[in-house]
Amino acid sequence: MTRFLLRRLAAIPLTLLVVSALVFTATEVLPGDVARTVLGREADAAAVTDLNRQLGLDQPVLVRYVHWLGDFVSGRWGTSYTRHSDVRTLLLDRLGDSLLLALAAFVLLVPVALGLGLLAGLYRDRLLDRVISGVTLALGAIPEFVTGVVLMVVFSVNLHWLPTSARLSPGEGPVEMLRHFTLPVVSLVLLCTGYVARHVRTGTIAVLEGPYVRAARLRGHSERRIVLRHVLRNATVPATSALGIQLQYLLGGLVVVELLFNYPGVGDLLLRSALDKDLPTLQATAMVLGVLYLLVVLVADVAYRLLDPRVRLGGAVA
Amino acid sequence: MPGPLNGTAPGTTADDLPRSWREALPGTSRRGFLAAVGAGSLAALLAACAPGDTKTGSSKPTGPAKRGGTLRVGTPPPPTSVDPVTAYDGSAVALIQLVADYLVWLDKDFGLQPRLATKWKSDKDAKKWTFTLREGVTFSDGAPLDAETVKASFDRLLDPKNKSAALSAFGDILAEGGVTAPDSSTVVFTLKRPYVDFPYLVSAGNYNTVILKKRYKGDFTKPHSAIGTGPFVLTSYDASKGASFVRNKRYWNKGKPYLDGVEVTFYRDEQADVAALQSGDIDTQFLSKAQLVKPLSGSGDVVVDEVKSTNLTLFTLRTDQAPFDKKEVRQAVAYALDRSALRKGIGSDIGQLGNDHLFAPAYPTAPEDIPQRAQDKKKVKDLLKKAGVKHLRFTLTFDEPGKDYAVAVQSQLKESGITVDLDQQPSGKFYGGDQKKDTPWLFAAATLVGYAGRPVPSQLVAPLVTSDAIWNGAKYSNPKVDKAAKAYDATKDEKERAAQARIIAEALHEDVPVIVSYWGGAVRAYNSTRFTGIEAHPSQFVDFSGVSKA
Repeated sequence: MTRFLLRRLAAIPLTLLVVSALVFTATEVLPGDVARTVLGREADAAAVTDLNRQLGLDQPVLVRYVHWLGDFVSGRWGTSYTRHSDVRTLLLDRLGDSLLLALAAFVLLVPVALGLGLLAGLYRDRLLDRVISGVTLALGAIPEFVTGVVLMVVFSVNLHWLPTSARLSPGEGPVEMLRHFTLPVVSLVLLCTGYVARHVRTGTIAVLEGPYVRAARLRGHSERRIVLRHVLRNATVPATSALGIQLQYLLGGLVVVELLFNYPGVGDLLLRSALDKDLPTLQATAMVLGVLYLLVVLVADVAYRLLDPRVRLGGAVA
Repeated sequence: MPGPLNGTAPGTTADDLPRSWREALPGTSRRGFLAAVGAGSLAALLAACAPGDTKTGSSKPTGPAKRGGTLRVGTPPPPTSVDPVTAYDGSAVALIQLVADYLVWLDKDFGLQPRLATKWKSDKDAKKWTFTLREGVTFSDGAPLDAETVKASFDRLLDPKNKSAALSAFGDILAEGGVTAPDSSTVVFTLKRPYVDFPYLVSAGNYNTVILKKRYKGDFTKPHSAIGTGPFVLTSYDASKGASFVRNKRYWNKGKPYLDGVEVTFYRDEQADVAALQSGDIDTQFLSKAQLVKPLSGSGDVVVDEVKSTNLTLFTLRTDQAPFDKKEVRQAVAYALDRSALRKGIGSDIGQLGNDHLFAPAYPTAPEDIPQRAQDKKKVKDLLKKAGVKHLRFTLTFDEPGKDYAVAVQSQLKESGITVDLDQQPSGKFYGGDQKKDTPWLFAAATLVGYAGRPVPSQLVAPLVTSDAIWNGAKYSNPKVDKAAKAYDATKDEKERAAQARIIAEALHEDVPVIVSYWGGAVRAYNSTRFTGIEAHPSQFVDFSGVSKA
């Protein structure tokens, strides 16, 4: 296990190096001009050239890349071209907000998806299963901006129960936070539940057909004890990787929900900086999200190993 | 000339956020997306649930204004830093206008209102302009306003080092060293050439010309550096979230503002902004879009105020190369368009029809008796025949905000047998490249470009259609127009000005280097149950000093 961890951790910097090179190359081919974005389309041509020079954008790509990489590693993440503010402050601030929303959604997602998947598996092919599977599948197919808008129209615009914005106003406490988070979190959970629940359902069914469940039944254990002691844990194994994938999505892919519920997070920052060719912000954001992704994958793998003794002991997965 | 408050959608100003929305959704076309969640569904849903009559129009405060209250405003976050010297987008300009004031305000009817200057006059050539400052004005930090401060503000804008967005507006009219302060309440501008409309250039119409402190060093997002003489004072600013303002107790217009403060929230998505207005999370918007808020008018508490503006989508044809080097071909395209349909479908049914010259009906000098050009398919045929063109086919180049307009043009011209190939480019590419050699927006055969309203017509004529002008994408050159444009700027006699305007307008109408199918309008939506005195402005400028609780 320790060797596994060390090996995986050592691969992270290498992967990040590749990510940074890719992002840098990609932004080079993006059309547009930083100085023109900053100064406006009708700005004087001399002023545009001048600003590009000030930002060092007249240097060759490779020179800029090496400079940037050195600075990034030593903790100098630079100043945003368009916002004139410190990238690290900006990014960490946004990241904190994004993580809060993502974790809130994840915390609700885990019990809901596990519970529904387990129920569906236990009541396989019966009405309850059909309803759960059908509804979660359908909801998973509707993009979050559709469910989000519908929820917003119903609960904010018409009923005035909940605010349209996920963002807290200054001085609002935890109760207010619940109100602000309800709509975005619910639309995310509606989107993600189906995928995870399906994995749990499949896992549950496989376990219920397993010999040890039959053995437990023959031993006369109660159904409740069988489900809690044998089925739940084993059915969770295939769900860990599904949950890992959803967590990755929640951490980096909330652009749409962030926009809709006016929650300035890291997804919005990534998008904006790519559109504006704001390289310092774009690079730093891509790298930080890269680190997060890799960590989530690692955690999911570790969880998988801990839950499944066959993998843990290095044996073949049957 | 001031920038067009950012790349502009037809009939709108500012904010390229819809772009981010769309690009956040790969594989979802804008059309499909809007149909799914956009103005369509939201507005329809909201309107369907709403009782009551349509309420459209401005609200005038009745009776004595009530004091107090904080106005909550939604707006897209400024895409670049908020600095009065370089700002060019609508949100940044509006934020600045809460705090800082101009010598002269541009009102919603394109008239000039004295602000920090109480009066102004010129010599007989309209080359030397003398402005008298208002007595007793102080900045929000207590420092008095004097002529030296005003001079410093204009010197700052005129210094090329500062890269001001106002530089191109001053153009060949006012240069560095042209401003003097003979005494503490008089400022004199000495122009490089006669310019009758000069007061507009030092008014809000040239929106970077707010008066700032002498030692202003840039950045209007810090309370200690955002010092002005305007109705409000900045207390906090967060680039991601919004900004807070409180009433300026030292405001020169005693008794105003009525509000205690203004709370601005940034909405990255325009739909979210509109939903917030509908649900009551905000009270008004800086940059309402007609296509989004008009359907909501009368649903619940939302009222939409509407004004004429001089925003336009300019359809430019390159006159120096085939196929548009022949006047008849250009006229044919102009006659093939159904202007009313464009105005209604793309322009949200506000504003007025255009007649292919650059004098909007909103301008006082607009010639009124040039016959309105309308769709005439037979004439199209005759003109093309006369030009010897059997089948006209050309490529129309534009960026995202021009998309709907382009598609409409394509289908309208098809009815007259003209084939249009659409070339939509990312904004960065469309406006990128060498501005003197190959940038698509100035060099493609036919283009669509959105322009925010200008306070005076010469700010459109001079840079767009005079020989070798900076944004002359048509490559149009007509000595008659050049001469009349100069004379228009130099003539104080109203009759003579009107005559020059007619010369320009008739030449443009006849030669069609640019097609103006309609002039936009501007709207501002607000919650009428909470506040009164909120008005639309042709350039979506903001004066909330007269806003009070309903």
